[in-house]
Amino acid sequence: MAEKSEYRGSIHQRQKDLMLRWYDQLNQAAETGDPPAVSMMISGNCVELLEGFGAVPIYPEVNALQLAIRHQSLDPILAAEELGYAADNCAYVKADIGCMLKGITPTGGKLPTPTLILCNFVGCNTYLKWFEHTAKLMNAPLYVIDVPFMRADEPSRADIEYVVRQLEETVKKLESLTGRKFDYDRFAEAVDCSRRSEELWSRIKHLARSRPSPFDAYFDAITLMGPLYVYRAKPEGVEFFEAALKELEAKKQAGDGLYEKERFRLVMEGPPPYPYFRTFRDMFAKWGACAVASTYSTVGGLWEFGFRHNPAEPFESVAMHMIAQNVTNRNYLQRYEQIRRYVEEWGADGIIIHFVKSCRLFSAGQGDMRDYFTKRLGIPTLYIESDLEDPRYFSEAQIKNRIDAFFEALEHSKHAAGVKAGV
Amino acid sequence: MRLAAGVDVGSTQTKAVLMSDNGGTHIVARALVDTGANVQKAAERAFDKCCREAGVPSSEVGFVVGTGYGRYKISFGNAQMTEISCHARGAGFLCPGTRTVIDMGGQDSKAISVGPAGEVLDFVMNDKCAAGTGRFLANAAEVMGISLDEIGPLSLQATRPVKIATVCTVFVESDILSYLAQGKKAEDILGGVHMAIAKRTLSLARRVNIEPEVTMTGGVALNCGMVSALEEVLGRKMQVSPDAHFMGAVGAGLFALEKLDQSFEFGIWRGEHAVDSGH
Repeated sequence: MAEKSEYRGSIHQRQKDLMLRWYDQLNQAAETGDPPAVSMMISGNCVELLEGFGAVPIYPEVNALQLAIRHQSLDPILAAEELGYAADNCAYVKADIGCMLKGITPTGGKLPTPTLILCNFVGCNTYLKWFEHTAKLMNAPLYVIDVPFMRADEPSRADIEYVVRQLEETVKKLESLTGRKFDYDRFAEAVDCSRRSEELWSRIKHLARSRPSPFDAYFDAITLMGPLYVYRAKPEGVEFFEAALKELEAKKQAGDGLYEKERFRLVMEGPPPYPYFRTFRDMFAKWGACAVASTYSTVGGLWEFGFRHNPAEPFESVAMHMIAQNVTNRNYLQRYEQIRRYVEEWGADGIIIHFVKSCRLFSAGQGDMRDYFTKRLGIPTLYIESDLEDPRYFSEAQIKNRIDAFFEALEHSKHAAGVKAGV
Repeated sequence: MRLAAGVDVGSTQTKAVLMSDNGGTHIVARALVDTGANVQKAAERAFDKCCREAGVPSSEVGFVVGTGYGRYKISFGNAQMTEISCHARGAGFLCPGTRTVIDMGGQDSKAISVGPAGEVLDFVMNDKCAAGTGRFLANAAEVMGISLDEIGPLSLQATRPVKIATVCTVFVESDILSYLAQGKKAEDILGGVHMAIAKRTLSLARRVNIEPEVTMTGGVALNCGMVSALEEVLGRKMQVSPDAHFMGAVGAGLFALEKLDQSFEFGIWRGEHAVDSGH
């Protein structure tokens, strides 16, 4: 194994502390009913709105992936299947439902019954059924924000107004459910905190353009994503991303990369196989391969191309984020363009597409995506299949073989090009 | 004589070749053994058999490259490379002008787009499913009680090949049993079986650019019925070397020779780049 394969700095401890504090808050909410808790989807989340009520978010995907990364996802998945969920249903859904049935939580602490289950579904209509079932199991109120899918490059004025009206309805709903008046000033401050966190996060992501990249924009980015969803609208989030930028900037200045030698630069599409997170990472580390950009790290928000929340138009900018600035609600042509820009502007050698077996909505079309990049643009692209949550779909020997072959081919092609050029 | 070896530990069979570049690069000896349960021993047996065949002590072999799924279990190997790189390299050597490789083995089938220097430009493989692999044919042969060697020639005698709706290696059995119950002739059933696999393989191969020359490699290339069915769906002749079965080992042997020559190296080499401990 390469002796250096990842960045471990003080921000990792800070991240851990922040996330544990969040789970403590959820535990407190479960025991005392304070603060109010709102269950939401990561993608296109409107965490800023919750700040106006001093409410805390519950993200079922974060709970599910925490279980998977600790190799504990299969039991709840099987519990959901016993209930009647099919083998090819979303494994995040099954893990979450299974946890409710079996009373499992990621930390062993308590999770509150949500004050409101806010189905902010973007791109993924599975969420409608997921949250409906959750609402039934937990006997909690459900409110659905219908976010129009991106049909063109930009959302229409009507799309934005449609979502703004629904956000205003959500405010009224939460006022009646929490008995608290919506604090507009606090909401605007939260939007401003998000703007600042996003600016810092974007600058961090642009650091990966340098050679070597000071961090892995897929595996390490995941560490930073938890605070991005839970804390970006709070001063703690801004402080966290300031510290992260400072540390990574220093690494960049020192020319300190992940490996002794960064041999390959990649763009990653799709979430990682969390049940084999370490194994999967090592398959790339072995080759000195570093992800310089990833679409998965834009699931909760796409900020590296310039979008920021705007405190001058807080509702409109939250709506804009939900509709247009997260990868799952964007159409395929936009996803292609995002990846193409990463390859060109971040200087990548190839693309890895990880198809998630139990997520047809996000993964369908990735075969065509591979064809587009290999045949139309001539960018080496590897397509591999497993799952983000269900350990049963990960075939280690098969995936390792494909990854090894991909890097051998990249090296051989570089060598052949060198011979041809007389180098 | 300078010697190098390639050992291809496949899911069903293990192949070894000894190669030399004295008087032009050529194959000195080849050996084939069933892989069985002990992968490490299978590699040793194949390699030893190959050395005996050539009449040289194994200590004279300068470099050994392992390939195939069992490559990390080859205790005497100096380096490992995937069979994708090795089949491309071997095909480029034995079948000059190769631009597309269709490799059908025991559990894998793959299509590889190859550059002029034998480099892999792109590849696709079957995923999580043994449809379109040698295993499918082996299952069909077993259900019909016909040996694997016979099914290819028999399939060529089909006059009214049946339609096999499934490409599932498990469910093909019930399709075949149903046709047998209807009194269909064995050659017509086998014609259908071979055509089903050929069509499946074509759709796989279309995901890379199919450019001539197309070379077929792997154990299934020994099956004349499969070669014929594939040529029919491809609409072109393929190159099939008598050493098609050994192509992975030949490619590995060529890389090993080049390593001795110091002319070319890549991949994960023991003692140089990070070494894979294997699993």
